Amino acid sequence: MADFDAQIKESQAQVATAQAKISEVTGRIEAARAKLDAGEAAIDIENATLTDVHQHTELMNANIAELIMGLDDVTAGFSKDFDDMRSKTGMESFIGIFSDAKSESMRQERMRTASIDSKLQDLISKSDIIVRLLQGQLDLLNSQKTRVEKNLGDTLAEREATVGALEGVRAEIASMDPRIIELENKISVEQDATARTKLETDLAGLNARFNALVQDEQVQLAKSQTLERYIEKGKTWVDSLTNQAATQLVLINKLQTDTKQRVVLYDALTSSLKTAQQQDVAHRINEIGVKTDQEAQAAMAAIGSATNDRMADMLEAHEGHMVFARAVLEQKAKADERFARRFAKIVEKHDKNAYGE
Amino acid sequence: MASVKDQLTDDHQELYDTAMARRYFAKFERITGHLLQVTTEVETEGRLTRVEARILARYLTALTATFAALSQKYLMTGRADGAPKLTFDRHESGFPVAQELMVMALDAAQVAKHLGGMAAVSDLKDRMVRQIVRDLTVPTALQFALSQRLYYESLAAGGLFWARNDPDLQWIADISRDGGDRKHFLLHWAVYDTQMNLPVVYLMDVEDSGAKPLPHDDRRWPLLQSHLMAQSLTGLKLLTIAQGVDQDFAGLHPKRLRRITLGPMHSHDFTLQSGPISQVLADANAPDGNDWAMVWTAEDLVSDREEEVKDGWFSTAERQVFRLDPFNGAASGTTRTERMVILPERPYQVLAELNPPGFRDVRKFVVGDAGRIMPA
Repeated sequence: MADFDAQIKESQAQVATAQAKISEVTGRIEAARAKLDAGEAAIDIENATLTDVHQHTELMNANIAELIMGLDDVTAGFSKDFDDMRSKTGMESFIGIFSDAKSESMRQERMRTASIDSKLQDLISKSDIIVRLLQGQLDLLNSQKTRVEKNLGDTLAEREATVGALEGVRAEIASMDPRIIELENKISVEQDATARTKLETDLAGLNARFNALVQDEQVQLAKSQTLERYIEKGKTWVDSLTNQAATQLVLINKLQTDTKQRVVLYDALTSSLKTAQQQDVAHRINEIGVKTDQEAQAAMAAIGSATNDRMADMLEAHEGHMVFARAVLEQKAKADERFARRFAKIVEKHDKNAYGE
Repeated sequence: MASVKDQLTDDHQELYDTAMARRYFAKFERITGHLLQVTTEVETEGRLTRVEARILARYLTALTATFAALSQKYLMTGRADGAPKLTFDRHESGFPVAQELMVMALDAAQVAKHLGGMAAVSDLKDRMVRQIVRDLTVPTALQFALSQRLYYESLAAGGLFWARNDPDLQWIADISRDGGDRKHFLLHWAVYDTQMNLPVVYLMDVEDSGAKPLPHDDRRWPLLQSHLMAQSLTGLKLLTIAQGVDQDFAGLHPKRLRRITLGPMHSHDFTLQSGPISQVLADANAPDGNDWAMVWTAEDLVSDREEEVKDGWFSTAERQVFRLDPFNGAASGTTRTERMVILPERPYQVLAELNPPGFRDVRKFVVGDAGRIMPA
């Protein structure tokens, strides 16, 4: 399975790159936040960076999806085992030329020691490796999401405060207008020079305050806009992280369901093959008694070939044979469907040479 | 129509809820304890020898340890993000699916790596206290880490019931039959059946007429071990398994083969059951902890006589002819099959009142007050 291992390595490398990129974007968002606190207004999270991350994660997910599909090829090995169980080996066929019974009994003996346990364990462990890969990615996405979300929460509170301050400044500016007009009116009708000078001084002071407020308004407005832009970027990033996490969940779900079902299916098939083959023979021999050994041998050969035909049928149409009278339950995960929706293209490509189903 | 794969896993169910998962494990802790008591009871009745009872008790203790380990693994189900969930078979089993045990074996293989990279229990607890006092939050992540730590520690401690428990043997006696010296061994092994999702224990009495005693015979013992594991399928009748050993191994004479299937465990809240037991548990409406019935099936196949057959031009071999149940031996492939059910008082009351035909010849053990077992 060098192919599988190579693919795993490739995926691991891609996951590492994707994680680095994702962390970098979150890092930038946090750095921007620090700059905001320091009073700078520049934000350097460019859309290009986000697109880059997206492209990369898409590539990574496609690769992992391929990997999951690749498990199918791993499992194709099972079908060889099943075939082996019902056909004769070269040696057995050769001996069959001289003695059918002997050849049949050799096959029976081989059948009795056949086991797919280690293959099943292999399948589980491979699928476990992929799940861990995905789980690691999912954990990273979730932790990044929490960090960015917390950051955004703080920023939202700050923006609220800024907007509040802006409103306050605007209200004060509005309230100053009537006082200025009142003062100007007073100056225009005042005859006494001393009083007039005092009024003019008041007006100048008021005007200076007015200008300061207007300037403050501009500053607050700019800050609020910067914060808003920042929040926008942050939100986009959280959305993107959420979306990626959902993809990971679908992949994990699909893989786990698939592996579970495969293990059960292969196990059931092995069990029924072995059972069908041996059971009749054992009874027949016990009935006949061992005195008539010749007869027993003949019977065994006859039953052997009969069950062989039956097993061939079973392999061809095992659906029909393995329908168990079990209650159909409501809680079946729709993992396949969700997977197909997300990875329709890969599935389509793969189905052309897929094993199983 | 759903595909075969879907149908095969239809009755597998995950435990999502924390309280449910803990209740499930608490139930099994109690039940496995009672199974040990029943073993003692059956031994005093003289139907199991001392050695057999001890072997059975060993497998039951291992099963208890496995459940304890799994309960650590799934302690944080539904509480921590990404905490694993237990899948169990809810139809005619009630036990975790076999894959849980296969995955556990995989975890056990990597236990050193995990334990090496984890903080110690005292360290984790210390950090928990600090998080509680300082941040005033529940340390869910640390709790999860601790549960996994305890899980791996119990894997490292060993003594667990695995998906496959390879054969072991015990010398019983030297006997002399027809002038030849033979050794009587008791072989025992256990598997977690992947079809029914139930633990199954096998006991085989075998007489060895080989030149070398079986445990020291490198030509037969390793082969026999893998042969027995590959044949431990519930779908195979005892007759088939015993005959396979008789034919494939020279000098081995299987005299008696027993298969003890532990389970299914029925519970109105957790499992789906068909037949009268379903009605019994529903009517009993027992409170948590008393809502269960555990079935235990013992199949037994005994050799009737030994006959000599020619197995080559100049050689002969001894072959066993097994005694089959005259009524349904052809179907069951056993000499006798006995079913027992262990259940708490309340479901037993209902069972006695309903007295369904299928349960009349099932031996019943009732769990009384203070956990005492009473044969009924």
